[in-house]
Amino acid sequence: MTLVVGYAPDGRSRAALHLAGALARSAGEDLVVCAVVPVAWPPGPARVDAEYRDHLERTAREAFEEARARLPADVHADFVVEHARSAPAGLLDVAAAREAEAIVVGSSSGGALGRVSLGSASDRLVHSAPIPVAMTPSGYRCPPDARVTRVTAAFGGAEGADDLVVAAAGLAARFGASLRLVSFAVRPRPPYTAGVGRIGDEAAVDEWVEAIRAAADAALADVREHVPHAPDDLDAVIGHGETWDEAIDDVEWDDGDLLVVGSSSIGPLRRVFLGSRASKIVRRSPVPVAVVPRGAAAELADRAVHDEEAHR
Amino acid sequence: MASVDQSPGQRSPQGGVPARRESLRDHVFRRKPVTAMNAETGVDGGEGELARTIGLFQLTLFGVGATIGTGIFIVLTQAVPIAGPAVVWSFVVAGTVAGLTAICYAELASAVPVSGSSYSYAYATLGEGIAMVVAACLLLEYGVSAAAVAVGWSQYLNELFDNLFGFVIPESFAQAPEQGGILNVPAVILIVLCTLLLIRGASESAKVNAVMVLIKLSVLVLFIAVGVTGWNADNLSNFSPSGLDGIMSAAGIIFFSYIGLDAVSTAGEEVKNPRRNMPLAIIFALVVVTGIYIAVAIVAVAAQPLDAFEGQEAGLAAILESVTGSTWPGTVLAAGAVISIFSVTLVVIYGQTRILFAMGRDGMIPPLFHKVNPRTLTPVPATIIVAVVVSLLAGLVPINFLAEMTSIGTLVAFLVVSVGVIVLRRTAPDLPRGFKVPGYPVTPILSIAGCFWIISDLRAVTIYVFVIWVAVVLLWYFFYGIRHSTLRRAGAAAPEATS
Repeated sequence: MTLVVGYAPDGRSRAALHLAGALARSAGEDLVVCAVVPVAWPPGPARVDAEYRDHLERTAREAFEEARARLPADVHADFVVEHARSAPAGLLDVAAAREAEAIVVGSSSGGALGRVSLGSASDRLVHSAPIPVAMTPSGYRCPPDARVTRVTAAFGGAEGADDLVVAAAGLAARFGASLRLVSFAVRPRPPYTAGVGRIGDEAAVDEWVEAIRAAADAALADVREHVPHAPDDLDAVIGHGETWDEAIDDVEWDDGDLLVVGSSSIGPLRRVFLGSRASKIVRRSPVPVAVVPRGAAAELADRAVHDEEAHR
Repeated sequence: MASVDQSPGQRSPQGGVPARRESLRDHVFRRKPVTAMNAETGVDGGEGELARTIGLFQLTLFGVGATIGTGIFIVLTQAVPIAGPAVVWSFVVAGTVAGLTAICYAELASAVPVSGSSYSYAYATLGEGIAMVVAACLLLEYGVSAAAVAVGWSQYLNELFDNLFGFVIPESFAQAPEQGGILNVPAVILIVLCTLLLIRGASESAKVNAVMVLIKLSVLVLFIAVGVTGWNADNLSNFSPSGLDGIMSAAGIIFFSYIGLDAVSTAGEEVKNPRRNMPLAIIFALVVVTGIYIAVAIVAVAAQPLDAFEGQEAGLAAILESVTGSTWPGTVLAAGAVISIFSVTLVVIYGQTRILFAMGRDGMIPPLFHKVNPRTLTPVPATIIVAVVVSLLAGLVPINFLAEMTSIGTLVAFLVVSVGVIVLRRTAPDLPRGFKVPGYPVTPILSIAGCFWIISDLRAVTIYVFVIWVAVVLLWYFFYGIRHSTLRRAGAAAPEATS
């Protein structure tokens, strides 16, 4: 099993390499560092653009030298140049060919430093990958011996959330990390003109918080019962705030955190469909995020419960 | 291969020739060593060896797809007034010459284990100076043809607007100045749209490309099927008003609709049994394409009197309308033309930027042209420069001139290639060739003669402008390229490493 790392031939993908290194070490996986360059075009055997494409391929191979130097020595990595019509398509092809477990990409360079931002490539990847997609916050760096020390699963209490929790528990067990469930209670400040003030909303949010706390505790109990080698350190927290930013900052984050977010319950089973809440969480995350499609979450959960071998 | 690698500089200087002259000759005839090309293109490794997977049928289809429909939508308006209904013979002449040149090009392409445009092949076999001449021709074959098809597109777009919304872009903004307009705005917009897509790194998938070919074919079949109902033998009574001269002049314009056929020639590396399949595929593709073109042409000339062609815009759509008396067939045809010509323009501009990229790498033009944006992996400055020049041409120059310039550029490029075949047989007879021209030396000589014959019947102004253009490019070469050539600088740094 391998992790596929999206590596832009411009060599600006250091964040993705850092995260991939940490993930690979934690999970005991290999890496496939993949640079995608445009395919021959127009389609057909004529090659008017041969010099141009060879230049692109060579640039990518040169950039690999730098990537090799940046990867920690204890992680095994293959380097491939994939010719594809777009970066997401190329990464998905390589992931399928190598039967990869996840794809790792960096943030769009347009985003704010320290937050995850989806560029056009990662956005499409997130919406079409059948396997988890891990993304770094912009400018993410970690020490060369870093590991994932805590898996934080975003928990919304909706249908399918249990699978995600169990899947996250399985990951945490594999990584030797602790598990934490996090939920966010956002209470927007009501407009002055609404008259009723906060009272009405307040009660509703309080009730939701109670319900989610109970659901999270139930999910953790489930994990303790069914997941062999489940981490001893299980925790559930709720972030409060008037805005999503406040709610997310309300929770304590750690360098070794990996935030796991499930896809929405609508959308095709095999693929990621980021719901409105999930995408708000992803875009504000100060730590690396893994977006897990429902199908993959179910598979991971299944493995976490049944496959003793996976836990070394 | 050794004979190609050998640098002309190593030959003993001829007695009596001044040293300075000798060195100039060396520059002009220096060839890009094949080994250097291999290292550059990375084809020396296992992955460079392409598997021979393409059969005769596929190659023929590829040739048809690459050739059909670029010019046929626009050339009749220019060619029929010159040749009359005998334009049918012009298609045969142009097609035959195109086929001969394509077969010659295939030998040259198979002799040099590099890939690229005919510029790259010329650089490896005929020397830097000739490569510059070929490059000058390719700028016409790609850049100017992009402008020509863009103008044709604007005509069909206008037709479509008229039929669908009853609205026409005013003459001033849909015509070149010479034809009473100010600027051909739709043509410029098309170029800008294509440029934006190319800068973003757009490409057409094989599927989209196949759909585009299907659209072109079905639109032409629609034209033939509907147009034939308007058959009027009276229109054919004066079959050849200008005789052979008219046929040949029209062939020069029509040659434009055969560009793309040369794409087959560069596929040699991947073709199974190229010795048999390459010429057959070129001939079959030509027969199919010429057959369709002739059917279109004969239906068109039978449908309306000769003088109706002169200055007719969006010709094929207009003929369908006058034949059926209703607008829908013309509308469907115009819509098909608008979609498929868009795709042609995209492909041609793409090709142009990549040829300039190769020239920039070789130091023939400023390094700006081989600057690649690291994010989109597209040569952004080259694309923008090409877009500006092509937009100006498309906006300001009338279509018949653009079509003729494209034709002459293509013809001369292939004339050089055909000469190259003969030269290479003499200078490097032992060079392994994946494909050899059947009937040597008759075939290349016929090819050269055919090109000359068509060129000589083009309008004098076209030939003058072409000669001036080549002179300008050569001046550029002598003042810039010759000194900035990567080959020269590599040679100065490390004295000639032949293999």
